[in-house]
Amino acid sequence: MAAAGSLTSSSIPATPRNVLALRLAVAVFILCVWEGLSRSGLFYGEVVPSLLAIVVSLGKLLIDPVFWRNLQVTMIETMASLAIGAGIGIAVGIVLGANRFLMRAFEPVVYYLSPTPRIILFPVMIMWFGVGPGSKIALGALSAFFAIALSTAAGMRQIDPILIRVGRSFRANVWQMAFKIYLPAMRVPILNGIRLGMGTAIITVLLGETKLSNQGLGYMIMQVYTRFDMPGLYALLILVFVIAGGVNALIGHFARD
Amino acid sequence: MSISEKTPLAQEPALVVDDVVKRFGRGTEIVTAVDHMSFSVKQGEFVSVIGPSGCGKSTLFNIIGGLLSDYEGAVKIGEERISAPHPAVGMVFQEESTFPWRTVIDNVAFPLELQGVPKSERMDRAHHFIDMVGLASFENAFPSQLSGGMKQRVSIARTLVSQPKILLMDEPFAALDEQTRLLLGDKITQIQQELNQTTLLITHNLTEAVQLSDRIVVMTYRPGQVKRIVDINLPRPRTSDVVGSDAFGHYVAEIWNDLREEASRGMADSESAASRRAAHG
Ligand SMILES: Nc1ncnc2c1ncn2[C@@H]1O[C@H](COP(=O)(O)OP(=O)(O)OP(=O)(O)O)[C@@H](O)[C@H]1O
Ligand SMILES: [Mg+2]
Repeated sequence: MAAAGSLTSSSIPATPRNVLALRLAVAVFILCVWEGLSRSGLFYGEVVPSLLAIVVSLGKLLIDPVFWRNLQVTMIETMASLAIGAGIGIAVGIVLGANRFLMRAFEPVVYYLSPTPRIILFPVMIMWFGVGPGSKIALGALSAFFAIALSTAAGMRQIDPILIRVGRSFRANVWQMAFKIYLPAMRVPILNGIRLGMGTAIITVLLGETKLSNQGLGYMIMQVYTRFDMPGLYALLILVFVIAGGVNALIGHFARD
Repeated sequence: MSISEKTPLAQEPALVVDDVVKRFGRGTEIVTAVDHMSFSVKQGEFVSVIGPSGCGKSTLFNIIGGLLSDYEGAVKIGEERISAPHPAVGMVFQEESTFPWRTVIDNVAFPLELQGVPKSERMDRAHHFIDMVGLASFENAFPSQLSGGMKQRVSIARTLVSQPKILLMDEPFAALDEQTRLLLGDKITQIQQELNQTTLLITHNLTEAVQLSDRIVVMTYRPGQVKRIVDINLPRPRTSDVVGSDAFGHYVAEIWNDLREEASRGMADSESAASRRAAHG
């Protein structure tokens, strides 16, 4: 305790108020540095725009129907890829987790493939599903699938076997076992998998949109960038971070015990 | 309700264990957990199976519950040989087995939910049995908020709610302290007398067995055989007060004689296994 305290060279208690104060202080510090750099003129043109310019762009974005339309496209693509990835991922995870033989055969494959960059498959997806939302959804689903399948399989293995014996002793059928015992017992690992899957799905969808598309937030970012509208670019990035973080926090809230 | 109308001996037994054998492993590593065991349980009777740790009690429990289908001999309910969980048998497990994501009442209503009983009836019936095990004020609590003994009572209520013809319990109070165990024993006796519940209790606790049973099946240690079957002729209705009586002490001493032999064989066995392991380094 004392050692940890001296390591971080602080004896300030981690009360919620102090934590909030620290966060605010760091945020204010970063904003000040940013504004300082912006005014120093050290950078070419508008690479580091002033805070005011970013706030103005942010305001403009929020009342721009184009932004909302693109946001909608990205959200729909992400949700669709998450739904597909989660559906297949949970099913595959349950099968892998339930069957020792299949697990031995395929789990290493899923495991070692999971951190590979899916974006290299983008050209293939475009050939299969076209330049529209289809190819982004397919790619997003693929990336969400891995995270969800792996954590479902792990969740399956940590179920207390006694609960399964209870279900069997009351003669639950396959569906009752799945929906009344396995799934609730795996709620936390599955939701954690969905959270991870959601993160990679958003990243993959945005990445796909920046590469080749004609709508979505990724596409919009590239457009703003080509126009070299730096305040607009930063404003857009801030919104993307806030949205992704918010959705993540929401799922995290449900994943808590 | 009344025990005067206790079923005559001539009546069909509710459960027959007939020459049951169960071996685990193969080759030279075979362990015979249950070895040619035979006994029966009559309608409305409370029978305990007692034996030292590792003698094969849980194995027998799982066979009767239909969770271990691969065995020799026959466990019969009526004419039916058990090879899968039977609707007439309700099991209470040795381990803690409540569903942590369900409240007490939803835990207890679980078997009714599986049967598709409508919600309001389900809740009424669950409520009745929660009351019976004395947890009425904890209906909406989650298992994590309960003590070990309370969780076991939830498990017992959950099994009772399905109204099994035969209640099968594997050391339900093993993890509890002596006082709680005696009081829960009272509860079980009371429930059994109220429902005229046919019960088979697996235990390694002698006091508990004598306190609750009409008959006790004493098992040997490895291979698990029937050593002796003792009739307990203590008056009913009983309470834990019976524990102080002379007759009670007499039964305990008598059965302990048999049990001590087996228990010390079990001890010697595990000690020699330990020293073998130690010798291996
Ligand atoms: N699945 C299994 N595979 C191999 N051996 C087993 C298995 N289950 C039980 N055994 C063996 O069978 C014997 C009896 O075990 P069992 O669990 O029935 O004992 P028990 O009487 O219930 O003991 P306790 O009172 O400690 O619960 C033990 O020697 C155990 O090692
Ligand atoms: Mg046991």
